[in-house]
Amino acid sequence: MKPLLEIDQIHVRYGDMTALRGVSITVAESEVVCVIGPNGAGKSTTLAAVAGGVKPFRGEVRLNGTAITGRAPERIAALGVSLVPEGRHIFGSLTVDENLAIGGYMRNDKAGVAADRARLLDLLPRLAERLHYPAGRLSGGEQQMLAIARAVMTRPRLLLVDEPSLGLAPKIVDQIYEILLDLRRRDGLTLLINEQSSNRILNHADRIHVLRAGVIQLEGRAEDLRDGDAIRHAYFGFGHQAPAAPAALEAAP
Amino acid sequence: MIGLLQNLIDALSLGSIYALTALGIGLLFGILRLINFAHGDFITIGAYALIVPSADVTARMLIGDFNIALMLPAIALIVIVAALLTDALVFRPLRRSSPPTLMIGSFAVSYIIQNAVLMMYGSRPKAINLWSDANTQVIIGDLRVPMLQVITLVVTLALMAGLSVFLKKSRYGVQMRAAAEDFRMAQYLGVRGNFVIGLAFAISGILASAVALLYVTQSGSLSHTMGVPLALFAFVAVVIGGMGSLVGAVVGGFLVGFIVTMLQAYLPPDLRAFRDAFAFAFVILVLLVRPAGLVPARNTVERV
Amino acid sequence: MSAKTLLPALARHQSPALLALCLLAIVALASLTGSDTVQVTVAEMMIRVIVVVGLYVFIGNSGIISFGHIGFMCVGAYAAAWATAQPTFKQIMLSGLPVFLQEAEYPFLVAVAGSFALPALVALILGAAIMRLSGTACSIATFAFLVIVNSVYSNWDSVTAGVSSIIGIPTVVGPWIGFAFALLAIAVAHLFQISRFGLMLRASRDDEVAARASAVDVLKVRLAAFVLSAALVGMGGGLYAQFLGILTVDPFYLNLSFITLAMLVVGGMFSLTGAVCGVVAVTAIVEVLRFLERGGLGVALPQGSQELGLGVLMALILVFRPKGLTGGRELRIPRRWPQLGFRRKRLEQRPQEG
Repeated sequence: MKPLLEIDQIHVRYGDMTALRGVSITVAESEVVCVIGPNGAGKSTTLAAVAGGVKPFRGEVRLNGTAITGRAPERIAALGVSLVPEGRHIFGSLTVDENLAIGGYMRNDKAGVAADRARLLDLLPRLAERLHYPAGRLSGGEQQMLAIARAVMTRPRLLLVDEPSLGLAPKIVDQIYEILLDLRRRDGLTLLINEQSSNRILNHADRIHVLRAGVIQLEGRAEDLRDGDAIRHAYFGFGHQAPAAPAALEAAP
Repeated sequence: MIGLLQNLIDALSLGSIYALTALGIGLLFGILRLINFAHGDFITIGAYALIVPSADVTARMLIGDFNIALMLPAIALIVIVAALLTDALVFRPLRRSSPPTLMIGSFAVSYIIQNAVLMMYGSRPKAINLWSDANTQVIIGDLRVPMLQVITLVVTLALMAGLSVFLKKSRYGVQMRAAAEDFRMAQYLGVRGNFVIGLAFAISGILASAVALLYVTQSGSLSHTMGVPLALFAFVAVVIGGMGSLVGAVVGGFLVGFIVTMLQAYLPPDLRAFRDAFAFAFVILVLLVRPAGLVPARNTVERV
Repeated sequence: MSAKTLLPALARHQSPALLALCLLAIVALASLTGSDTVQVTVAEMMIRVIVVVGLYVFIGNSGIISFGHIGFMCVGAYAAAWATAQPTFKQIMLSGLPVFLQEAEYPFLVAVAGSFALPALVALILGAAIMRLSGTACSIATFAFLVIVNSVYSNWDSVTAGVSSIIGIPTVVGPWIGFAFALLAIAVAHLFQISRFGLMLRASRDDEVAARASAVDVLKVRLAAFVLSAALVGMGGGLYAQFLGILTVDPFYLNLSFITLAMLVVGGMFSLTGAVCGVVAVTAIVEVLRFLERGGLGVALPQGSQELGLGVLMALILVFRPKGLTGGRELRIPRRWPQLGFRRKRLEQRPQEG
């Protein structure tokens, strides 16, 4: 099966700090791939590099076989990649409705936009109730849902989700994963998700990569890694062949 | 009582000019984090566009003689083109630069425009007569209100209402507000960064051309540095109002107009000459007491 | 002193020493030409070196742009004029001055000391208020300060003679005196830069959060730099007054702010060498443009080309060489030690990140 996304040996640097050293990840159509790793491992940088927020100084990112490395974020978005960043980045002074509208503006099919909006509001009744509120007044969980809905409004083929569970209650996190997996089931949406811990994601992801200190330490099918030992080794780095690289700084895009 | 009312009307009219100028500066600051010193010079360009380019002492009208329905868009277009050119030539290459570099860049643009105007039109101020009919007075009871002040206020309110509707209701307006709040996130959602910035430059050009026409009608003269004091007072307005907040810029503009008029009217004569010093000392004071301004924007926390 | 202790000291202070030698060469050459115009140009250039080096002490070390330092230059210039203008003039035109200034004529060095101290005092008061503002707000506050100084000095008739000028200031400043004080300014700037205060301020410029975390009192070091830089710029103003012999408020406004800032940017904001080189380079360019404006090559460029050229140059530098001509480095005698060469190579090879 042809991969939708290929991250090929990318290196990213912030000033003197190397954040990624040769990270490669491929994601096939309709697959759910998860990157896990500790704080500062380079997870957010990886997603930002795909979405055009940072430019790798070496390596390539390909979407459907076409190199998109170094293109402007809005052009990558137009190719069907949408990012739900860590910290959600809701437009707090805009209403919930306007936040959703932004996502739809780059599409030409008005009918499709309206249909998607209706469907998402159906799926997320809490947002429907607060359509004309400034989005900054929503709770953390609601903001996360809005961030996802807003990204889905662009009709992406590939949705990048950065730590969707950060700072949210477990119950809310379950809801959010339900929504994400529901979108995948219905639309065949491809997902690349970052998480800090593996416990929940092992049940949802098809494949898992463990990233630490800017290097992929381990990758495999979720079902093969279920016992957790290999992941723990890769994650914490003891008793493993992983190179002892100095911790790289992870910066938000 | 009549005196106070008269002063209030003066304050409103002067405040309108400052508010429109501050709005243009505030709009660009919101999206680009650019303190645009050259905004005053956009106004200068709009004013000089009225006349035939020459170094002669007397000004001959060119676009200024057009029918008003043709003249307004022509002047606006010239200023828009100038504003977009500064973006394309200077600010776009500086997109990833730090705010101090951007600030110096706009200082350079301002210097370039002033001297380019000086080169084309000569250094001496020129008298110009635009819409002298507007200087008639409307008499309401004991109150004499210059027609021009009424026009200024009406035009200002109309432009503000227009801008507000644009920002609230149109898709590009919503995109601009989103970009002003979180530029990178807006790009991730497909908002075209350079387009939105160009739009902001164009709108600030329209605002500048409106100020140019109102101001020239009132002052009756042109000089290559005429925009500078306007921009300086508008900075004060933007800072007092809260950088990045458009409502703040408008509030600040009217407040500065009010302060300047009242200082002029009620300062003891020997201190009146220091009016500007008082006004600018007031900026420093506001900065100290309320660094975020009177109407703080939610998104201007400077990266530490 | 043995060679062992002397050599490191020389190495440590080589940049200012080399800069001094360059300036010395310029002044000496100017004296050799014997041309009055050249002498005047070089004297003015030395004064600008003092002003721009003063500007650099604050901007270069703190990373905050100030548009207001020309206000300090104005304060310094008037301080010197008050001290040195003829008492007969002062008693008639500047009747608001305190008696000790009105009735006496002070020697040159006292005037310079005054033009150093008064701006420093003003900067201390202003800085204590505005140094805690963020970078952008602080820049705007310095702008406001410039307008305030301009407004006060052009209207306070009994002290500054308002829009008319103060005349009869002894014109004692020529290229050599200018050079001597330029040396002083460079030395002070250099010593500040390598002092603990200077290092802490640079650390805060590069990373304010980290500097604060390691117990750097950012406000205090910023304020110190602000006061010192205002004093140097003021001293430049004092010398300028005694170079011109006649003083008005007009020159101390936006144009001069722009020109001095342009010099700093062209040379490179973040090194002392940049400040000095910028003055020399911009002076040279402006002189060439002036020459062309006067019709030096047969065809006269239109009035304003000189300013336009300077503006365009500054924009080009900002876009294509944001660290200025010097690239933020200091002037040093090139050393050919192998490991150094290796290091430099690696630095150059480092690819650009987005």
